[in-house]
Amino acid sequence: MNKATKITSCTLGELMIYQIALSIEDGILAFHGFGSPLVQLALHLAKRFHAPNLVLVAGATYGINPTPAFLTPTTNDFAMNRGAECHLSIEELFDLAASGRLGRMFLSGLQIDRWGNMNVTRLGNDERLTLKLPGGGGGCNLSADAGHVTIWTAAHRSHADNLGRRRYRLVKRCDFVTSVGHRTADGLARAAMPYRGGGPDCIVTDLGVFGFNAEGHAELRFTYPDTNCELIAESTEFEFPVADNLSTAALPEPALIDFIRRLDPLKIHERELSQDDRVRTFELNSL
Amino acid sequence: MYTQADKRCLLPELVAHIQNGDCLAIGGGLSWREPMAALRELIRQNIKDLKLVGSAHGIDVDLLCGAGSVAASAESYVGFEQDFGMALNYRRACESGAVKVEDNCCYTLVQQLRAAIQGLPFMPIRSVQGTDFLKLHPEFKTMTCPFSGEQLVLVPALKPDVALIHAHYADEHGNLHIEGPPVADILFAKASKKVIVTVEAFISHQELASKGITIPYFYVTAACEVPYGAHPTSCYPRYAYDREHTKHYYQAAKSGDDGFRKDYLDPYVYECKDHAAYLSLIGGQTRLARLEQWNDGVDQWMQLYE
Repeated sequence: MNKATKITSCTLGELMIYQIALSIEDGILAFHGFGSPLVQLALHLAKRFHAPNLVLVAGATYGINPTPAFLTPTTNDFAMNRGAECHLSIEELFDLAASGRLGRMFLSGLQIDRWGNMNVTRLGNDERLTLKLPGGGGGCNLSADAGHVTIWTAAHRSHADNLGRRRYRLVKRCDFVTSVGHRTADGLARAAMPYRGGGPDCIVTDLGVFGFNAEGHAELRFTYPDTNCELIAESTEFEFPVADNLSTAALPEPALIDFIRRLDPLKIHERELSQDDRVRTFELNSL
Repeated sequence: MYTQADKRCLLPELVAHIQNGDCLAIGGGLSWREPMAALRELIRQNIKDLKLVGSAHGIDVDLLCGAGSVAASAESYVGFEQDFGMALNYRRACESGAVKVEDNCCYTLVQQLRAAIQGLPFMPIRSVQGTDFLKLHPEFKTMTCPFSGEQLVLVPALKPDVALIHAHYADEHGNLHIEGPPVADILFAKASKKVIVTVEAFISHQELASKGITIPYFYVTAACEVPYGAHPTSCYPRYAYDREHTKHYYQAAKSGDDGFRKDYLDPYVYECKDHAAYLSLIGGQTRLARLEQWNDGVDQWMQLYE
């Protein structure tokens, strides 16, 4: 790294990418889906640093271990697939998951409940559709089949309107369940279903990182240097337990930050963040 | 079996294979290799009440929704990812009730197509139970597996009336070559009753065979040569995605149904008598050459996204 560009701080986006990357084990097969720049960068970061034996399957192209020219705003692009070692077909990727060989998948939702169920299909009740969301791709299938699931969202923070009302991202109940977590909304445990996978084991948000406790309930594990439990509770519709060893999330090393910046020169990943969150930065030596 | 020696036809004849009310599987995915020229022709022919099935799509489905061609959507995703976000025509059509929401999931779709390809009434899957997709799809059933005792979901065979695909090359007989990700096109071609195809170019059988045959001729009903037929989506390695045009499209969609009609459908679809007129309107050879030059260097490539 050139001294003139010495990195002394990281952005919220880079912190989230690092936290997502930390959930990725070496030697597994993992798939990043589409419309998920934070996750795409996290997978490449993991493979370049702590998980060199990761079998990285690119979303949409199904290329394996590509070295993207740069991150593009659309996923099914040759730039994202450059240098892929080999390719899967759509059926092969999903067959690998169905037979228990997809180690980890990454899913998000416009609504995420305490058990990790998520909605990306529709808002409103069965009688009245108030907002049609884009849909979940293969998330419904993979939430059942993938060995583990990393949940992420860059829109955890909720703002109260004039009347003090909030629209939450982490909700008590999803209007529609697109992908499954640890229990149904009625409390039926995941073990009652013949799923292959173990379900979600973390939620990385713009405010902190949750794990899941033995009951399958989201539990706060890490805050960020500029957040705390109270702030996170205010933006979360359900009450949540806090881990005994709650601490501040680790920040990425300069070499990792440099890697992210080189791979995403167009800053596509910032499009997942709110305008306010794009200027949140953390001093690397502040901890 | 489609065995005629020469599958070549003109674009209006090709698209006329689609009937009002058909179940249509559109090939490609997201911003990659969508059969856009054929979809514009479909709109000009006023074909209506389509039921769309597919995996992850964007401008193709959104355009048809904006033109009022769709009655139901069983796609797994319709949007513009981090590029522009929600598909606005699709969203409006779903929320007004004009398009019935029958969202599906990628593997569910794959298994339904496989059942059709294998001549089976259904395929089992473990997933979907525990989600609300069962409410959208009362035709999905559950059963206890006689071997393992597990509860499985059975999804019925899906045989689309028509698969519409844009491929790189075909020979006259209808053998197809696709470069890069085929997405669900091979499954669509094998499961559908009719397969209609636009191609960048017809080439000799010998040349096609040396590139490799992605889909054999006897699945293919008819084919038409439509260079740049995927524009504004990409058809690498020939041309990249036209983000600038897509941005213009998105702005038009943002202005509402009337604005979309006036600023996009009228000029780019209804008032273009054919594909050549469309290509000239989007900037002709100058514009197309720019999209073809993606491979001149990373900087040049990246500029297409700025």
